[in-house]
Amino acid sequence: MQVSTHPPEKAQSGHHFDMEGLLGYILLTGVLLSVALLAIGFVWRWVRVGNLRFEHSIVGMNFFEFILSTLRQMASQASRPRLFLNMGIGVLMLTPFVRVLASVFYFAFVEHNWKYTLFTGFVLSVLTYSLFLR
Amino acid sequence: MSFHVLFLVSIVAGFIGAMSGMGGGVILIPVLTFLGMDIKHAIAVSIVSVIATSSGSASAYVRDRITNLKVGMFLEMFTIVGALAGAAITLISGRRVLFILFGVVLLSSWVALFRQRNEGWRQTSHQDIFSRWLELEGSYYDRAVRQTIVYQGTRAYLGGPLMFGAGVIAGLLGIGAGALKVLIHDLVMGLPPKVSTTTSNLIIGVTALAGTSVYLAAGMIDPGLAAPVILGVVLGAFMGTRLLVRLTNQTVQRFFLGVLLVLGVEMLLRGIWGV
Repeated sequence: MQVSTHPPEKAQSGHHFDMEGLLGYILLTGVLLSVALLAIGFVWRWVRVGNLRFEHSIVGMNFFEFILSTLRQMASQASRPRLFLNMGIGVLMLTPFVRVLASVFYFAFVEHNWKYTLFTGFVLSVLTYSLFLR
Repeated sequence: MSFHVLFLVSIVAGFIGAMSGMGGGVILIPVLTFLGMDIKHAIAVSIVSVIATSSGSASAYVRDRITNLKVGMFLEMFTIVGALAGAAITLISGRRVLFILFGVVLLSSWVALFRQRNEGWRQTSHQDIFSRWLELEGSYYDRAVRQTIVYQGTRAYLGGPLMFGAGVIAGLLGIGAGALKVLIHDLVMGLPPKVSTTTSNLIIGVTALAGTSVYLAAGMIDPGLAAPVILGVVLGAFMGTRLLVRLTNQTVQRFFLGVLLVLGVEMLLRGIWGV
């Protein structure tokens, strides 16, 4: 280990694009949005029926079908509390996925680093495959 | 199980998990199964909440520029494949086997943490060709010592396959397996402790997503059970992180070692006796 008293901001990269900042905000926004959607679902349920019990499951569909089905139901009829719960879980699952997607773009188009474009591309492909599982 | 019970248990799990740095899963699953939830459902519910806690803490660490993105991106390739395999194994495993494995992992983490108490970080003097090719070096500003620490990661050829194993355990048991990942970063790849912990946090989110997708496909993610757990664990982790700064490292570690030992023995015995 070496130590220096160089300014912290310039130590890691010469690029002006703030990748760490972007990834940090993607993760934070995803988690906060997810928590907000879940909380809305529970509060709405409490106001409407007086309890917090949800009894529905996600069966026979992959992640993308689950998200599309939830969005379609939200668009077609009055939004129900359970749809907010579904969206909260959906947004949470999308958060690391979007983070990896942003990393692929960063390594490909900002850093022009083919090695890490390949690595993050592999991670993105495996995640996409896993989200298509049913 | 009612919302209130799930929510309260998850707050406690998130709280202790954040203070110990091991995440809520190691507390959550033993308690949920103790309260009567099927272990496979507890694992499925826990792994979704792991995405929330790891992404939440990773967001702060990444912005602080302590996390090494390249180390994270390289190792993720191994952990996500491991998590997919681990979750698939859980679906076909017997419940007693899962209890025993959980107990063994908790007790192994206990041994690792216990030994780690007296060991400092050893720096690596030589970076191998493969790790250099992977550009596994970096620097971060350590506010505690007010210095920029420059380091080199090494033995990536060993770290990768070992992280596959950590991914299998994460997917199999629905936990972040952060202690194991940090050990691999620390002892095998020679990364400084702060870089190990923060990079591990980044990897855990993606690994948990891979595991979650398998449980979702198997119809084991019940939003009515997962949602209170996510909310509770996030709230508990938030409170735990706030309290952490007021406690000494020794107090936290001693408390967590005790909890880990009790839960590990309890899960192991339940597996052996077939509860």
